[in-house]
Amino acid sequence: MAGAFLTPLVDVLAKRMNHPRARDYFALAVTVGTLLLVVDMATSVLGGDILVYKLGGWAPPLGINLAVDGLGLLVGLIVAGISTLVVIYSFVFMRQESGLGQYYTLMLLLTAGMMGVAFTGDIFNLYVFFEIMAISSYALVAFRRSKISIEGAIKYLIVGSLGTSFILLGIALLYGSTGTLNIADIASKLAVINTTSGSTPLISIIALTLFVVGFGIKVGMIPFHAWLPDAYQAAPSPISAIMAGGTAIVGVGALLRVSYFIFGAPMVGPLLIGLGLVTMVLGAFMALVQRDLKRLLAYSGISQMGYILLSIGLGTALGITGGLFHMLNNAVYKSLLFLAVGAIIYRVKTSRIDELGGLGRKMPITAGIFLVGALALAGMPPFNGFASKLTIFLAGIDAGYPILSGIAAIISVVTLAYMIRAFIAVFLGPQTGRFENVKEAPRSMLFPMMVLAAVCVVLGVLPQLGFSAVEPAQEVLLNPSSYIGEVIPGA
Amino acid sequence: MDFNYVIAMLLVALGLYCLLLKRNLIKIIIGLAVLTDGIHLFLISLGYRAGGTAAIVSGEMFLDLPGFAAHAVDPIPQALVLTSIVINICILALALSLAIYAYRHYKTLNPSKMRRLRG
Repeated sequence: MAGAFLTPLVDVLAKRMNHPRARDYFALAVTVGTLLLVVDMATSVLGGDILVYKLGGWAPPLGINLAVDGLGLLVGLIVAGISTLVVIYSFVFMRQESGLGQYYTLMLLLTAGMMGVAFTGDIFNLYVFFEIMAISSYALVAFRRSKISIEGAIKYLIVGSLGTSFILLGIALLYGSTGTLNIADIASKLAVINTTSGSTPLISIIALTLFVVGFGIKVGMIPFHAWLPDAYQAAPSPISAIMAGGTAIVGVGALLRVSYFIFGAPMVGPLLIGLGLVTMVLGAFMALVQRDLKRLLAYSGISQMGYILLSIGLGTALGITGGLFHMLNNAVYKSLLFLAVGAIIYRVKTSRIDELGGLGRKMPITAGIFLVGALALAGMPPFNGFASKLTIFLAGIDAGYPILSGIAAIISVVTLAYMIRAFIAVFLGPQTGRFENVKEAPRSMLFPMMVLAAVCVVLGVLPQLGFSAVEPAQEVLLNPSSYIGEVIPGA
Repeated sequence: MDFNYVIAMLLVALGLYCLLLKRNLIKIIIGLAVLTDGIHLFLISLGYRAGGTAAIVSGEMFLDLPGFAAHAVDPIPQALVLTSIVINICILALALSLAIYAYRHYKTLNPSKMRRLRG
């Protein structure tokens, strides 16, 4: 079970440049293996169990442990699924590039880092895996070494390492006040400190602020979002997809784990609602004026993160369920859209909306898939975005904030507006002569997109499936004491 | 002892200042290094005990474990700082190599002049 994230790390060293195709298939085999392991764990975790694996056989809180609970599993499932599809997609997409050995190595490292963040039960290892994830994503953004990718990577690196430094400082403060690094142990000790002193000590508030800023930078919350569109635009499309569908989700997962487990919902909720609201509104309006497809998707990703944070910040069971379900859906359709844009770039070599037009006739399947993603993103009925957005609206009314639901609904309309505008500009309209010879995207690029589109439809038609996937995660967030008891027996 | 914390926070503040307000990539990267070093100093000071022994148990020390624990320094922050130093070396190396590429492409180290990405 621990192999779920150790295998990529070990095997990355074993495979260097042996055989050009063998390397691709090796990367695929590792990601598929990871996915299968996560699915294997899913059966027991969805049954309400929490799997605890003690590295080196030392019992927590002394030893380092991995703890797979509902939240970790949800994040791990998303990450494993998307990285598998992205590896398949990269076969053709990245074929003309050089240095693919490094590309797949970094990709597997990125996956390993994300899995580690999802599953670790130790706050310092959370930081280490977070850095693994961050460093490999900086390098992947810079992969092409062209002007824009270097610029995007530098911005990402500076802002991102500022964020991770804040996280480290927060960890140091927590360690100073509790003397332990195990997440469950910190949570129970902080609870004791809070009850004995009668209020929350200033030091935990400072630590919480540092964590929110640190993870918020990764997620792309509005005051800390500046790096995100640049990095997404500059990265190769599969990397944008894995960052939108994986890294951002992992950031949310880590933020929730730290803030809800350690500090509790009442303290964090209002903060998340406020930040989420600003993020949602500003992200959508910035997306409205973008002229580059990938940049538009990046801003809409920021806006969707706002929905997730807002909904989870409500702190009610319905709100958390809606937020987590939206997190799942957002990962699916956002990576779908980035992959579709990647297909356009692969054939047409540009992603500027002004230069594109009339591609629908040449690339009908890509157009259809993009439309599915766009409608799901905007929350139209037959697709998954509708189910989760509806849950969020209901949760807002239920929690006594109908205004929030109203704003979320208006922003949903804005989302529909910019996605439809992009669709019309790119796929409909008169054909320009430049695109006479454009063909449909190759099959191995269409396959991952079709899988994701199918997931969009299935989760839209049968939302119960999605709800049952997020249910354990929601229970864990609302009631962390079962997690604490499971990790440290007798605490 | 308290002096350590003051210095650590000063380093963090200096690093932040450098990171946020300087207009030269190299200086920004130095700021990053100073910032993390401040955090490291803070962490290591948490586990420090004046006149303490190293946290390695050997020989007859096993006979008096509570007494040993009362004298030893806390080893965990040291392990953390070591790990974190390694991570930061990676980040600094990556940052400096990106800075080299950036200079080749743009002929400047001023990040506000790198303006290909907009919007």
